[in-house]
Amino acid sequence: MMWLEILSDGFFAAVAAIGFGAISDPPMRAFPSIALLAAIGHALRFVLMHWGMDIASASLCASVTIGVGSLLLGGRIRCPMTVLFIPALLPMIPGMYAYKTVFSMIMFMKTLDDPALGAEYLQAIVRNGFITFSVIFMLAAGAAAPIFLFNKRAHSLTRDKKHLRK
Amino acid sequence: MKTQAELKAIARFVAEYATRLMGSGVHTSRVVRNTKRLGEALGVRVIVSAFQKVVNFSVFDDESGEVYSEVVDIPPRPISFELNAELSALSWEACDRHLTLEEIEARYREIIARPRIDPIFTLIVVGLANASFCRLFGGDWFAMSIVFTATLLGFFLKQGMQNRGFNHYVVFIASSFVASMYASVALTFDTTADIAIATSVLFLIPGVPLINGVIDIVEGHVLNGIARLTSALMLIVCIAIGLSATLMIVKSGLL
Amino acid sequence: MTNTVFWQTIADYNRMTWPVQVLLVLAGILLTWRLYRRPTSGIKRVMKYYLALLNGWIAVGYYLVACDARSYNEVMALFWGVMAAVWVYDDVVGYTTFERTRRHDLFAVILCLMPFVYPLFSTLRGMHFPMMTSPVMPCSVALYTIGLLLAFSKRVNLFVILFLCHWSLIGLSKVYFFGIPEDLLLAGALVPALYLFFKEYIDLNFRSDTKPDRRVMRLLLAVMCAGIGIFFLATIWRQIASLV
Repeated sequence: MMWLEILSDGFFAAVAAIGFGAISDPPMRAFPSIALLAAIGHALRFVLMHWGMDIASASLCASVTIGVGSLLLGGRIRCPMTVLFIPALLPMIPGMYAYKTVFSMIMFMKTLDDPALGAEYLQAIVRNGFITFSVIFMLAAGAAAPIFLFNKRAHSLTRDKKHLRK
Repeated sequence: MKTQAELKAIARFVAEYATRLMGSGVHTSRVVRNTKRLGEALGVRVIVSAFQKVVNFSVFDDESGEVYSEVVDIPPRPISFELNAELSALSWEACDRHLTLEEIEARYREIIARPRIDPIFTLIVVGLANASFCRLFGGDWFAMSIVFTATLLGFFLKQGMQNRGFNHYVVFIASSFVASMYASVALTFDTTADIAIATSVLFLIPGVPLINGVIDIVEGHVLNGIARLTSALMLIVCIAIGLSATLMIVKSGLL
Repeated sequence: MTNTVFWQTIADYNRMTWPVQVLLVLAGILLTWRLYRRPTSGIKRVMKYYLALLNGWIAVGYYLVACDARSYNEVMALFWGVMAAVWVYDDVVGYTTFERTRRHDLFAVILCLMPFVYPLFSTLRGMHFPMMTSPVMPCSVALYTIGLLLAFSKRVNLFVILFLCHWSLIGLSKVYFFGIPEDLLLAGALVPALYLFFKEYIDLNFRSDTKPDRRVMRLLLAVMCAGIGIFFLATIWRQIASLV
C-alpha cells in the first residue's frame, strides 16, 4: 500500500510539473526530464516526511536531489539546469500553508475586537507564513546548490559534447 | 583589429541578445556569462551590468583600444525556457565553431522565430496540473474536478487579459479572484472545499522569478535578485488580494 | 441545504414565474428558428442579447429571488450574472460570429431540444407541476447554449464553453446530493461536446511544425476527455451503489 501511495504521489507531482512548466514555454524535449525529476523529488519528500522529518528539511533534501538530477539529465538534452529544475520544484510549493496564512490574515482583521481570538490568528499567520517562507527558500537554495558545487559542468550543459574535452 | 563600424555592429547584436535573454526570464549570471562568451567568440571583451529594466554594457576591442558603450531597455516579454536553452547553446556554438557575426545572427533570427507553445495546450495541461496539485494536498476526486475547471476558467481569463495588454497586477488579481470564486462552489457540497479553494489559485505563483531571485542573490547579483523577489512578491500579494476577495464573500462556509 | 429545500425552491420558482418562462421559451424558439433559417447580422445580435437576458434571468429570477432559501445562491447568481455580462461583451467586441458549420448538426439539434426533455424526464419520474424541472433552469439553459454554439461553432467564445463545463460538473454532483437525475443529461452531453469543440480548434490551428505538434495535442485531448468521462462514470457508479 505504501508503494502505491508513493507512486501516485510521484505521478501527480509529474503531471503538476508538466503543467506548470508549460506556462514558461520550455523546449518539448525537456518535458520527460521535468516529469521524472518532479516525480522523484516529490516522492522523496513524501517518504522523508512519512518517516518524521520536518517539511523544510525534507524539501531541502528533495530539492538537492532535483538539482543534481537536472545536472545529470541536462547535458543529455542540452538544457540549462534552471530549465529543468524550476518546473520540477513547483509541485513542492507549500500552497496550503500559503493559503492558511492569507486566510488567518483576513480572520485577524475581522476579529480585531476580540484580543484572544486575534492572538490565535496572529500565531497562525506567523506559523504558516514562516513555514511557507522557509520551504520556498530551501527549495530554491537546495536546487541551486549543485550550480555552485559543480560550477564548470553546470555552466557548459548546453555545449556541444564534441568540444567538451579538448 | 575592428573598425568602429564593426564594433558597433557587434555591440548592437550583443545588446539584442542580452536583452532578449533578460526579458525571457534567465537569471542574471547566465546572461552575463553567455554575453561574455558570445563577445569572446566575436573577438571582443564585453562587460555587462544588467538591471531589472535596462542593460548597460561596453564592448572593448583590446587590440585597438576602442570602446563602444550602449544602454538598452529590456522589453517585457513572456518567460521562455526554450529561448534560454537555445540561446545558451548558440553562445557555445559561436565560441566552439568560431562563427562569424552574420552566421550567428542568422541562427539567432531562426531561433527567435520559432513558435511559442500553443495557448490551448498550456490551458489544458495547466488545468490538469492544478488538479494534480489539489490531489497532492489531500483533496478528494470531486475537489480535483472542481479545481480543474476553475483553473481552466482562471487561466483562460489570464491569457485573454494578457493578450489585450492589461496591467500585470490587474491580471493577477482578476484571475485569482475568478479561479477561487469558481472553485468556491465546492463549499456547496460535502467535499474538501478549503483545499479546492487554496489550490485553485496556485497556477499563478510566479515560480520562475522567485527561484531566479534566490539564485541571483546567492550568486552575488544581490540587487537584481532582490528586484526579482520584490516583483514576485508583488504578484503574490495580488494573488492574495484576489483570493481574499473570494474568502470575504464565502468565508462563512469555511468556519 | 437539504433535498426538500432544493425541490421546494424549484416548485416556488415554477409557480411564480411560469408566464415569464413561457415567454422566454417562445422567444428562444423563434430566435433559434430564424438563426437556422435566415441568419442576418441583426438576428445574430438579437440572439446574443437574448442569451444575455436568459443568463441574467437565471441569475436574478432564479437564483436571487426564487432560490433565496438555498445557501450560496448569491455566488451562483454571480456566476450567471457574469455569463450575461460575457454575452453583452461578446456583442460589443463582436467575437462570436454564429456561423453554421453543419458538421455536428444532428447532435446540435438534439442538444437544443434537450430543455424540453428535462420536464419530460421529470414527468416520467412521476413528478408533477410545479415541483419538476422546467426548460428555463440553469442546466437546461446550459444544454441549450452548448447545442447552439455547437451548431454555429465557427468561432466560439471559449470562456462560455469552459463555464458550461464547470457548471456540468456542479450539475453532476447535484444528481448525487439533491437527487435530480435529470442533470445526467447535461453531464452526458458535455463530454462529446467538449471533445468536438477542442477537436475543431486543433484541426484548425495545429500542423506538424507547431509546438506541440498535432499528434501530441490529439493525445492530450483524448486523455482529458477520457479523464472527465471516467470521472463522470465513477461518480454515477457511486451514486447508483449508494442507492442500492
